[in-house]
Amino acid sequence: MKILIIEDEKGLRDSIEKYLEYQGFVCETADNFLTGKEKISQFAYDCIVVDIGLPYGSGLDIVSAVKEMESKAGIIIISAKNALDDKLKGLELGSDDYLTKPFHLSELNARINAILRRRKFEGSKIIRFNEIKLDAEAQSVTVNDQTVDLTEKEYQLLEYFVANQRRVLTKPAIAEHIWGDEYVQAGDYDFIYTHIKNLRKKLLDAGSGDYIKTVYRSGYRLTDN
Amino acid sequence: MRLLTKTTLYFFSAMVIVLVLTGFYLFQQFSRQINERSDRELMAEEQGWIDYLETGLENGNTFILRTREVAIYPVNASPNEFPVIEDIADNSLKPKSGLPYRQLSQVVGIGDVSYQVILKKSQEQKAVLVTNFTRVMMLVLAGLFIVTIIFNWIISRNLWAPFRRSLQKIRTTELNKIQTVHFEKTNTKEFNELNSSLNDMRDKIYHDYINMKEFTENAAHEMQTPIAVVQGKLELLLQDQNLKEGQLQSLAEASEVLNRLGKLNQGLLLLAKIENNQYESAEPVSLTAITRKYLQLFDELIKDKGITVETDFGDEFNLRLHPVLADSLVSNLLGNAIKYNYPGGVIKIIASKASYQISNSSRLEPIAAGKIFKRFNTSKDGGESSNGLGLAIVKKIADANGLQLNYHAQNGMHYFELRVM
Repeated sequence: MKILIIEDEKGLRDSIEKYLEYQGFVCETADNFLTGKEKISQFAYDCIVVDIGLPYGSGLDIVSAVKEMESKAGIIIISAKNALDDKLKGLELGSDDYLTKPFHLSELNARINAILRRRKFEGSKIIRFNEIKLDAEAQSVTVNDQTVDLTEKEYQLLEYFVANQRRVLTKPAIAEHIWGDEYVQAGDYDFIYTHIKNLRKKLLDAGSGDYIKTVYRSGYRLTDN
Repeated sequence: MRLLTKTTLYFFSAMVIVLVLTGFYLFQQFSRQINERSDRELMAEEQGWIDYLETGLENGNTFILRTREVAIYPVNASPNEFPVIEDIADNSLKPKSGLPYRQLSQVVGIGDVSYQVILKKSQEQKAVLVTNFTRVMMLVLAGLFIVTIIFNWIISRNLWAPFRRSLQKIRTTELNKIQTVHFEKTNTKEFNELNSSLNDMRDKIYHDYINMKEFTENAAHEMQTPIAVVQGKLELLLQDQNLKEGQLQSLAEASEVLNRLGKLNQGLLLLAKIENNQYESAEPVSLTAITRKYLQLFDELIKDKGITVETDFGDEFNLRLHPVLADSLVSNLLGNAIKYNYPGGVIKIIASKASYQISNSSRLEPIAAGKIFKRFNTSKDGGESSNGLGLAIVKKIADANGLQLNYHAQNGMHYFELRVM
C-alpha cells in the first residue's frame, strides 16, 4: 500500500511518515503544493494525506486534481481549521475524510485503513489478527470461527486495536476514536479501562490469546509477543 | 442636580441681584427728581413768605406762625445766606407715622428782625413709590420665573434631544454590534463635537475589539499545528519498546495534557467563531433528536455510573440552529449532567415546544449566578478532563441564537433550561 503525505510542517510530516511505515505502508512525502501535484501525476497512490494550507496552493486543489485524473486513491484532508465549509467542500470535491489538527497518529492510521478497505471493491473486507477475524461489513468478530458477541463500541475498539496493532494507544486516543471529541465533556479516561476489560474478557472466553496488554500508566497495546 | 435646574438657579440669582440694583437705582433717580421738585416748591413758598413778611410787617410788629407745615418766628441769630433743605421723618405726630418730609430751614432778616423760617413738605408719594417699585419688581421676577421654566422645558425637550439620543445609543449598544452605531450630525456645535468624538471612540473600540478577537482566533489557530507536531512526536516516542516505566508515564501524562490543550484551543476557536457569527442557522433542528443521539453515544458512560435517565419529550423542541452548534449545546449540557453526577444519580430531560430542560443530581454546591457561565470557571470536582469552556460555549450559543438560558439549583438538583425568546 502506497501513501503520499503532502504536509509542509516537517515535524508533522516526518511523524506521520514514520508511524505509517511502522504499520507497513510505503510512504512518500511532499512539502508543498507543486511537488505534491507533480507526484500525483507521476505515481499511483492508494491513499493521499493532504494538508489544506500549503505553500503555492490549497490542498483542496490537490483533491480536485486527483479526481480529475480519475485516480483510485483515497484522500484524507488534514487541516488546522475546524471549518465546516472546508470540510464540506473537501468532501464535495471527493475527499474521503477530514481530520482536524491536532490528531492522534493512530486515528489517522485507522482512518486510512478504513478508506483503503472501503475502496477495495473486490476481495473480502475481512481483517485478520492471528485467530481473530473481523468482518468490517457485518461488524462481526469470530475467534477460530466461533462468533464473539460484541457491542458496537467493543467492535470499534477491536478494529482500532487491529489497525494499530503492536502500537501503544493512549487513553485519550481511544476515547476520542470511539466516543468522539465530545467524550471529554462527559467522562474521564478511567472509564476506558472497564470497556477494555470487557472486550478482553470476551475474546479470552472465545478462546483467543491474551493480546491486549496494558502499557504501564500510558495506554494499551494489541500485540502477539 | 440636573444641568437645567442648575443653570436656572444661577440665572435666578443673577436676576434677583440685577433687579434689586435696578430697583434701587430707579428709586434713587425718582427720589432725586421728587426732591428737586419739592425743593423748588419750598423755595418758592419761602419767597412768598418773605415777600409777605417784608410787605406786611413794616409797622415794626413781629410775626409768629406755627402750623404743622409752616413755622416762622423771630430768633436771635444772624441770617443765613442759603436755606438748608433736608429729609426728615416726622415723628411729631401720634402715632408716629414716620412719613418722610422735606424740610427747609433758614434764618432770614426782615428789616431788623431775624426770623427762623421752617417749611415742611410731605413726601408721602415717596413711600408709595417704594411699594410700587417693590411690587413691579416682584411681578417682573415672577414673570421671568414662569417664562424661564417654560423656556427651559422647551429647551430641554428640543435642544438636548441629540444629547439624549447619543446617550441612549451608548447605553444600549453591545460591543459586538458597535460598528453599526452612528452618532449623527446635529446643528449644535457642542453636540457635534461630542458626537464626532464618540464616533472616533467607537471606531477605536471596534478596532481594538476586532483586533482582540482576531488575536484569540489566530493564536488558537496557529497553535493547532505545533500541538499536532508535538502530539505526533510523543505518540512515536511512546512506541519505543525500551522505555522505562517512569519514562512511559511521563510521556503518557504529557500526551494527555497536550490533548487537553488541543481541546481547549478548539473550544476557544469555537467561541470566537460563534462571536463572529460564522455559524448561520439554516434548517430547524430538533434538540430532542440530538439528545437521543447523545444519550446513545454516552450510553456506556451513563450505565457505568449507574445513572438513571428520565426523559419526558412531550413535544419536539425545534430550533433554527447550526447543526454544529446544536451538537455542541446538547453534548455540553448532557456531558456536564453525567460528569458532575454521582454514581446512582439521576438525569431528567424535559422538552416541550417552547422549552428544553435538563437537570441532574449532583453533590456540587449550587453555582453562583454571576460565575456559572464564565470561561475557565472550572469546578475542581470535574476531573482533569474539564477545560472550563463548556457552559461558556452553551451560553454563547444561546445568546447568539436568541435563546434564553437559565440555571438554578434546588434540593441537590441542578437545572439548566433553554427557552425560545
